[in-house]
Amino acid sequence: MLKYLEGSHAVSQVVAMCRPQVISAYPITPQTHIVEDLARLVGEGQLDAEFINVESEFSAASVVLGAAAAGARTYTTTTSQGLLLMNEVIYCIAGMRLPIVLTCANRAISAPLNIWNDHSDSMTVRDAGWIQLHAEDNQEAADLHAQAFKIAEQTSLPLMVCMDGFILTHAFEPVDIPEQKEIDAFLPPFKPQHIVDPRWPRALGLYADPRFYMETRYILHRALEKSEQVISRVSADFAKSFGRESGGLIKTYNLEDAEVVIVTMGSIAGTIKDLIDQLSEEGKKVGLLQICSFRPFPKQEVYRVLKDKMNIVVLEKSVSLGRGGILASDIRWSFPRGEKGRSISSYIAGLGGRNISTDALREMVARVEKEQVDLAFLSLNQEIIAERDL
Amino acid sequence: MEISAEELNRVEKKNLFASGHRACGGCGQALAARLVADAAGENTIACVATGCLEIFSSPYPDPNWRIPFLHSLFENVSAVASGVEAAYKILKKGPVNIIAQGGDGSTADIGFQSISGMFERGHNVLYICYDNEAYMNTGVQRSSFTPYGAKTTTTPMGNRTRKKNLPMLAADHGIPYVATATVDDYRDLQRKVKKALTIEGPKYLHVLAPCPLGWGHGGDLTVQICRLAKATCLFPVFEIFYGEISNIQKVPQKLPVEEYLRLQARFKHLFKRGEPTKIVAEIQEIANQNIARFNL
Amino acid sequence: MDKLPLGLALDLSKVVPYKTGSWRTMKPLYIMQTPPCTHSCPINNDIRGFLRVLADKQDYAEAWHILTRTNPFPAACGRVCPHPCEDGCNRRDFDTPLAINSAERSVGDYGLEHRLEHRKEVLTTRKEKVAVVGAGPAGLSCAFHLAKRGFPVKVFEAARDPGGMMRYGIPAYRLPKEVLDREIEAILKLGVDLECNVKVGVNIPFDQLRQDYHAVFLGLGAQKGVTLSIPGDDARNVFTGVGFLQEIHRGRIPEVGRNVVVVGGGNTAMDCARVAKRLGADVSVVYRRTRVEMPAITAEIDEAMEERIMFRYHTNPIKIITDEGRVVGLLCVQMELKEADASGRARPVPIPGSESVVPADTVIMATGQEVDYDGIDLARRENKWISVDEYLMTNVEKVFAGGDAVLGLETVSAAIGQGLRAAAAIEDYLEGHVESSLASPPVVYFKDMNSYYYTRKKRFAKEAIPVHERLKSFHEIYAPFDHREIIGEAKRCLSCGLCFDCRNCLMYCPDNAVNIHPATGKYEFDYDFCKGCGLCVKECPCHYIQLTLEK
Repeated sequence: MLKYLEGSHAVSQVVAMCRPQVISAYPITPQTHIVEDLARLVGEGQLDAEFINVESEFSAASVVLGAAAAGARTYTTTTSQGLLLMNEVIYCIAGMRLPIVLTCANRAISAPLNIWNDHSDSMTVRDAGWIQLHAEDNQEAADLHAQAFKIAEQTSLPLMVCMDGFILTHAFEPVDIPEQKEIDAFLPPFKPQHIVDPRWPRALGLYADPRFYMETRYILHRALEKSEQVISRVSADFAKSFGRESGGLIKTYNLEDAEVVIVTMGSIAGTIKDLIDQLSEEGKKVGLLQICSFRPFPKQEVYRVLKDKMNIVVLEKSVSLGRGGILASDIRWSFPRGEKGRSISSYIAGLGGRNISTDALREMVARVEKEQVDLAFLSLNQEIIAERDL
Repeated sequence: MEISAEELNRVEKKNLFASGHRACGGCGQALAARLVADAAGENTIACVATGCLEIFSSPYPDPNWRIPFLHSLFENVSAVASGVEAAYKILKKGPVNIIAQGGDGSTADIGFQSISGMFERGHNVLYICYDNEAYMNTGVQRSSFTPYGAKTTTTPMGNRTRKKNLPMLAADHGIPYVATATVDDYRDLQRKVKKALTIEGPKYLHVLAPCPLGWGHGGDLTVQICRLAKATCLFPVFEIFYGEISNIQKVPQKLPVEEYLRLQARFKHLFKRGEPTKIVAEIQEIANQNIARFNL
Repeated sequence: MDKLPLGLALDLSKVVPYKTGSWRTMKPLYIMQTPPCTHSCPINNDIRGFLRVLADKQDYAEAWHILTRTNPFPAACGRVCPHPCEDGCNRRDFDTPLAINSAERSVGDYGLEHRLEHRKEVLTTRKEKVAVVGAGPAGLSCAFHLAKRGFPVKVFEAARDPGGMMRYGIPAYRLPKEVLDREIEAILKLGVDLECNVKVGVNIPFDQLRQDYHAVFLGLGAQKGVTLSIPGDDARNVFTGVGFLQEIHRGRIPEVGRNVVVVGGGNTAMDCARVAKRLGADVSVVYRRTRVEMPAITAEIDEAMEERIMFRYHTNPIKIITDEGRVVGLLCVQMELKEADASGRARPVPIPGSESVVPADTVIMATGQEVDYDGIDLARRENKWISVDEYLMTNVEKVFAGGDAVLGLETVSAAIGQGLRAAAAIEDYLEGHVESSLASPPVVYFKDMNSYYYTRKKRFAKEAIPVHERLKSFHEIYAPFDHREIIGEAKRCLSCGLCFDCRNCLMYCPDNAVNIHPATGKYEFDYDFCKGCGLCVKECPCHYIQLTLEK
């Protein structure tokens, strides 16, 4: 049913319909509305779950870890500082193969403190062994959560749904919220692989010495690689059940005879599509590749759609300080070594919620048409940069 | 929940914390964990924090636990146990005993946030702290439980702070049951575990667990050291029900703290040429304060 | 290696435990030790054994059987033994020693009340015959042990009745004759043949015995009184100690008059003094040294003093003063003590000019006893006692000896112990080998035990009937003990050196390496996992566990 609501609430409604049994989260802007809404649903009896108000994000993740280990379907949400605080637990959850779903309301990281959107927070845990899916808009954000529980429980991998803080969480849009029975048909009850239960005593969380540790990492890596199939399949299932495309590994726009391809993640895709339409009217052929599944990184899919595209610009809301663009690195790595003639430019944009204007994007396209840009920061205000700090 | 006096007082030996763990010979914590596991019984989920107990009991592929075991990190065992408790509630499984176990750090230092949250929220979890008075697993560094005067690798000249009083802090959270115990009186320890598990809500049990390696005494003296800790009034044994102290174990024959200190290498520096330094008198003062406060 | 489970979540039923026993450098063992009570006992009775049975099972019958495995005279010894076991008892270092002697008496009396019968160890009758000369404690003990082992035994007794010094020396108020009779009867019931009124060496030649029997045991005792040769010792009413007691036993009570003086410091002297007291006289004991040097057992001296017998120490008789052949007084001189003489005791020297007369109507000189060798020729030591080797064999082939005749004046228990040893030696001799007996386990002393687990408790106190009542008759001065109180006393036994199921080792092992075997119920160490930390050793109250070096 179509509802006009805030992104946070779209998510909380769908999450609630997925029947999580234990929810624990610590409030942090801009995720607070998700948490509050779920608390209300539980308090009013609309959602039969244990809602644990913990004293920090570390404990929030720990509580859902314990609950998942005991066999419950679990959910938590955080962002920025909170995600960094629960860093240890994030890795622990992946190592223990617990299918926990977490919503990351992407936000910039201190210092300096900044509560507005960029992707630096989820980037810090890209190597932890979680599936990371990025939502383009509120509809997709909501839909991805239904898919998330299914994917996670099928792969025994934890899954992070990334949605841009404020831009998506606090924006009001019409969103089609499914019915409970539709979600029930789509998402079967959780059947855990291993739990702590005196009836079948098991040990979870043993330590692994050098004889065994390496294999656990290898297994996790391969599990993530194989999860690409599950992500695609569940996206297809979702399309069949609900009649719309959502999720999956990648999405393309106007790629067929594009001469310049912009690669990006998240809500900025909307702005870029507007630009592409404008440029198209002006006779410029520009296309868009959206990475939906950032982890596992769909290297083969990327190569498949971009192999004939010789001018690529990666636009991302994150930077590996001292190195360069993170998504750009992954994109560059998708192509064969030593190939010549392909221009892959890297643009860092929108950090700390810096506005990304279509004008700035036009300039970017104009520039990459002329030359490969190894690394540039979009809309940087040079005037306030003191030479001495460089 | 009711429990008969016979069952409460029965001494249990079930090998639920079985042979084959890698603790040092004579380890007080291993002894305590064994007694606790047997007292709690088969219908128990043991959550353990990173530390000596976790390391010596849970390597892949041969842990020695025979009851379900869950380990996550160093500082979050209380939160993890809270999650297990919440899951069992919502899944309508159980009843089951959920115990969280940790040492100095996971209880009072790095894990203090987690345990405080667990107490405050009122989860039905029994937390057992094995107090060996330092971070033993990482190499005998001081903790907030390290007693005044003790030598550790990070207080080589002797610790200058007094032991953090976690039983009282726990009680001030308003939880229904707090108790202290030692490994020499295994009947008392097992009875307290069983009693705690009949009470709904968060429970805290503080067990003195001597570490032969860290405290510097032979593994065969573990039990005797506990007796001396009680006899010198440095470790009072009592229960607290909703903030009311009761069942204090009186010490009719009190011994001077020297008798306890002399046996441990971590206090050797307090005696110059066999004679006690003034720190010993200060430690005696701590014992005297315990005597006065608990009417030992 | 098995494939890694998902998330390393391991099914605990599939774990193969890691055997930490390989870490061990020291290994605990359950080792039974000898308790000091048994070690001090001349008979090596299993005191711990019978006390534990009383304490744990309240089973007097089984306690009697344990005790009579070694000692056929528990009721007698429970009355007359000076109980060196109590001096050795480790509980002496904790609060007070156990009243073992009273427990023994209680068990012995129970055996008599319920007419318990001794059990043979060998049910068939052996072909080798053994002769025992003397039906005193040594002889009867030897006969008892040999009979249990299946040997046919014949005992020759010179006197009219068996018992030796137990009958003819020890008076009835210390050892009632019914008690003695019934304990002897129980021994004879094992098939021991007893002939009285036969003095070997006189009525039967000693050599004949040696021909007719495969082995001979001599329990001759030392029943010949030795007097000081002082003027007047041939007067009427001058007796030797043993002579006086024998007269009493035969029922020929002499007229002792008002004043009786007993010379001597041994048990016989005490017995004579206390008998004389019961005959109505004022009695004093004259002894040339002091109480410290008196060889009599402490209880005897104490009881004599309670019975208001006067002790004149540093006093030595030099002459018996007679009037018309009757004793009227004893001239004595005071002595002072100088350095030790050959006996190890201070040497008494007369003080010139200190003579005085002690009025006396009867003088009893209990100043020594010797063996009556009439018709028996054997090598002797110090020209007095029979000389024997470590197997209690004399210089004559197949002839063994024990008791006072060998040891000098000793106790009933010492004689019984010698009888036991001799019986074993005789059996070995007849089988033609020396049975290599393992050295008995070392003794465990209190310093090696953990006293924390024992609780202080008051010792059983036996109550004597008041002195004026005692003196009216020859009845026993201690009434029978309450069986329940004795069981309470037995519970005080620390069980030195033998497990009493305290379960400390079971509960204190951090490695669960101590278990009770499901079938046998015995404690055992699981050496696959024991790390040798020694906690069990430290916390075993009775020192039953010891550490040895691991190979």
